[in-house]
Amino acid sequence: MTGTAAAERGAAARHRRVGRERLPVPALVLAWLAVAFFALPFIGLLWRAPWGAVGTVIGRDSVRTALWLSIRTSLTATAVSIALGVPLAWMLARGEFAGRGAVRALCTLSMVLPPVVAGVALFASFGRRGLFGRYLDEWFGVRLPFTTAGVVMAQAFVSMPFLVLTVEAALRQLDRRVEDAARTLGGSRWYVFSRVTLPTIRPALVAGAVLAWARALGEFGATITFAGNFPGTTQTMPLATYLALETDPDEAIMIALLLIAVSFTVLVALRDRWLGGGRQAG
Amino acid sequence: MGLQAHVTVRRDGFQLDAELGVEAGEVLAVLGPNGSGKTTLLRAIAGLAPIDAGRIALDGTVLDDPATDVFVPPERRPVGIVFQDYLLFEHLSALDNVAFGLRAAGVDRAAARRRAAEWLARVGLTERGRARPAALSGGEAQRVALARALAIDPRVLLLDEPLAALDVGTRRQVRRDLRRHLEGFEGVRILVTHDPVDAYALADRVAILDRGRVAQIGTIAEITAHPRSRYVAELVGTNLITGTIGDDGLVTSAGATVAVLADFTGPAFAIVRPQSITVSRTAADTSARNTFVGAIDDIDRIGDRVRVGIDAPIHLTAEITAAALDTLGLRPGDTVCAAVKATDIHTYPQ
Repeated sequence: MTGTAAAERGAAARHRRVGRERLPVPALVLAWLAVAFFALPFIGLLWRAPWGAVGTVIGRDSVRTALWLSIRTSLTATAVSIALGVPLAWMLARGEFAGRGAVRALCTLSMVLPPVVAGVALFASFGRRGLFGRYLDEWFGVRLPFTTAGVVMAQAFVSMPFLVLTVEAALRQLDRRVEDAARTLGGSRWYVFSRVTLPTIRPALVAGAVLAWARALGEFGATITFAGNFPGTTQTMPLATYLALETDPDEAIMIALLLIAVSFTVLVALRDRWLGGGRQAG
Repeated sequence: MGLQAHVTVRRDGFQLDAELGVEAGEVLAVLGPNGSGKTTLLRAIAGLAPIDAGRIALDGTVLDDPATDVFVPPERRPVGIVFQDYLLFEHLSALDNVAFGLRAAGVDRAAARRRAAEWLARVGLTERGRARPAALSGGEAQRVALARALAIDPRVLLLDEPLAALDVGTRRQVRRDLRRHLEGFEGVRILVTHDPVDAYALADRVAILDRGRVAQIGTIAEITAHPRSRYVAELVGTNLITGTIGDDGLVTSAGATVAVLADFTGPAFAIVRPQSITVSRTAADTSARNTFVGAIDDIDRIGDRVRVGIDAPIHLTAEITAAALDTLGLRPGDTVCAAVKATDIHTYPQ
């Protein structure tokens, strides 16, 4: 009897030992406080949501227009971020030139700037009376402020640094001898970059693109400052949400929920497929 | 013809200055400790590290010559390289790894895969074509790396420590396979290793690299018979005595005299095989012309044999049986006599 009991206790002890590491209680309390901090606003939102009016709100043209505009502009801004940001990250990671640190700081400044400030800066430069915007208009007839292109520009301006920093870190961590191996096999620099370097950093590239896209989707301050708030051309979902809050709080909440649903779906889908949540990365 | 390389690379505090020639069809092993510049030498030949001075030419074509400003980039050199940890492309299957060089050369996908499959078959990995590198064993990864390097039909094959990443159990098998695959390649083969066993098993000639310089180059038999530096002697497992042969025998720079048989005089090397040295507690009445007294500074068991380092006027390593060690009860610090017959000392001019 006692022998069996001791054996069971032993088994239990072994079980505990192979089980999870126990976290200190104060840390656990704080961690759960943080979880509550993130969860409560969503709970409040879900509780306040006018569920009966879901159909009518989502069916509204204004909402659908804003949603479609947000998706279009945020995806375009992400594409721009990838097209320009990957070469920039590559230059920052591999280039040997004076003032590289200053260039990096300059190119990531908009990430830490209040978005409104970014919008004012864009307006001063590319506005119709701006330093460069004036000539864009005179010479090429291109007007950025208060246009959909302006929305994309504002979004790319504040979101690209997320992609640049993520990709640059991945390029720095990459074992460059793998690229050497590809070159000895006859790969030109471009072939090696596209067939070896890019696939190797793909998880970081996807993560950076998602971060940039999420930032672009949520962009408010720079957009409203530089591109204004015109339904159909520059009124994205965050702008629509904010304005609806004054006229029709129920609609604001429904738009907010819609945004959350879109973001959440993308995040979950990518987490499993690309970001290696729980499973092995890359 | 073949590869002629005089490689000088300077890099913060280190200088590699090595000159070697390898004929097509020949396997040269570059043997040296870590940090001796072996990998740098391979990278220079592959074009991954431009040389600071010297010249690299293959079959009469200059690949790298700073003096005339010629530098052929790695992708245009007919050089295949198997890296130490293989560096397979993790995002590609074994088959596509082997096909990579063909694809880079513009061969279409189907043809490249067909030829890659032939290479995989040649190294006995037909079944593993679809496997990702992460799923391959060390030996399999090495064979994929070899097939990948050979698939581009190079004229020079470089192998950087091809066996170092393998555990002891698989090394012998992989070494034997590698030898067979190397025999099937007609070009210049250079193998870099820190392990004499690999060099002896795989190479025709050995270049010994020590602190950035070629200490000695020659066939294995030549190097074993006539090591020309302390480091080389240690590598081949023998004792080297340096001195000058005169009327009294060989006199070392430290002033010790060794009785030798020699038909020449002047600066000389002498080697003594560790097995030829007799170790005793007290100076025995012996026919051996040389007896050196010193303290034991090292005891190293290798199976049933023991290597005993003796700090005599000439430092010697003797090899005795484990049984003899136990009978004599030798321990580090004990003073012993090492006896060597003059006929067991082989001399040759410096």
